[in-house]
Amino acid sequence: MTTARPPQIVAFGGGGFSMEAGNPLLDDYVLSLAGRDRPRVCFLPTASGDADHYVVRFYRMFAAHCEASHVTLFRRERGGGAVEGNLEQHLLRQDVIYVGGGSVVSLLGAWRAHGLDRILKSAWRRGVVLCGLSAGSLCWFSDAVTAFHGAPTVVRGLGLLPHSNCVHYDGEPERRAEYRRFVGDGVRPGYAADDGAALHFVGRELRRVVTSRPRARAFRVEPVGGEVVEQPLPVRYLGDAQRDLAVA
Amino acid sequence: MSTRDLLRGDPQILAMGGGGFTMEPDNPALDDYVLSLVRVAEPRILFLPTASGDPTAQITSFYARFARRASAAHLSLFRRHGSARALADILLEQDVIYVGGGSMRNLLAIWQAHELDALLVEAWRRGIVLAGLSAGAMCWFAGGITRSAGPPEVIEGIGLLPGSFTVHADGEPERLPVWLEAVRSGVLPGGWAADDGVGLLFSGTRMVRVVSSRPGAAALRVDVVGGELVRHRIEPELLFAERGPGGRPVPDDVRELRELRQAMRRG
Repeated sequence: MTTARPPQIVAFGGGGFSMEAGNPLLDDYVLSLAGRDRPRVCFLPTASGDADHYVVRFYRMFAAHCEASHVTLFRRERGGGAVEGNLEQHLLRQDVIYVGGGSVVSLLGAWRAHGLDRILKSAWRRGVVLCGLSAGSLCWFSDAVTAFHGAPTVVRGLGLLPHSNCVHYDGEPERRAEYRRFVGDGVRPGYAADDGAALHFVGRELRRVVTSRPRARAFRVEPVGGEVVEQPLPVRYLGDAQRDLAVA
Repeated sequence: MSTRDLLRGDPQILAMGGGGFTMEPDNPALDDYVLSLVRVAEPRILFLPTASGDPTAQITSFYARFARRASAAHLSLFRRHGSARALADILLEQDVIYVGGGSMRNLLAIWQAHELDALLVEAWRRGIVLAGLSAGAMCWFAGGITRSAGPPEVIEGIGLLPGSFTVHADGEPERLPVWLEAVRSGVLPGGWAADDGVGLLFSGTRMVRVVSSRPGAAALRVDVVGGELVRHRIEPELLFAERGPGGRPVPDDVRELRELRQAMRRG
């Protein structure tokens, strides 16, 4: 490792290559944090059950300009192009670890079974940029609001970020009300992000919010004087700085 | 209590060393046998493809095999199933719960994360037939041999059935020595090894029958007696494969007759 890098997490409310085909703004933002021409990017598709089509789309997006790899936890005996042997060694060598969407409950269960929770914590401490969307955002927080398997519920995440998190905030109207209710009932305060909005944390603090869509938003949700308040956060639309890349 | 509940018998588990629709697309013998364990006319069967991460191909083959034979559904823990129904409601209304193969380590960890393991024990107690192959078979025992991390290694199961179980004894022979050593050294209790195509039927916790979809396949019982491994080969009953060994498709008239019969049963 050349210079000490701070722990960083970029948590997408939704977006990136798997949700915004043709709009690379969020993914490019993450890669820019690696500070390297050909960053090493490893994909963890665990939350989707290591879906083949997801892995293929990852390589389509990243293989040309990154050292791209992926880890499968379902077919470790068969390889199939995934990382083999010592997962820890491989993951700690990365510049970026990219976590796909799906079920956060299944994701956390499978990670714990393979010791990935511990490995990812040490990768984070060493300055490997952790990012992901949806389940790949929720997993980093202490409390995660998920509606993946029916009614919204709160599950415990890895707790690298001592906040709560709610994703796809613009997706379903009931999610907003539920999140605020949870925070009112004692779930720790936290952050909500729309599809196309990403929360960039340095250490445990929110550094900035970037978006791939002009109207995407993010919020701080916390109790203020007995009432749960949803405070819109300032955002930076990445398309402004890179007008030539913006899609209509 | 519904009529369905009253028709349920003792707890039953069919543990397959391999076989069924995911491994034997042209041979329905074991899957037909699974359905024969149920007393109701139009059985409800639920597929859990968790151990493989809910791949579409497995789910498609499940419906191809069971959609005409039963009221078939699957439960995904990786994709939205668009239902707000509690997992308990979905599981406990079934007649058969069929667990696919894959990574046993992931299977158990993900079930635990969703608290499905406790529900499956409850389903078993109520007489809902549990069936499965490979990881989906070993999971019910005290332990087995998994390749979840690559090389074969010992893994603990849910423990509904006493003894250990190892699978694909003929198809993946590298598991067998690891299992024998684990039994010999006492890491795993004595138990069974099953070839692909072989199913062990348990009534309660007692092994009552060994069946096979393939001639020549067998099961092995292994115990430690006085520090030595004692092996005992079990010849299974060969199940009648409706399509014959050549895997010929069912003729149209036979299929039509079956459908008619099913429709009449449904009333």
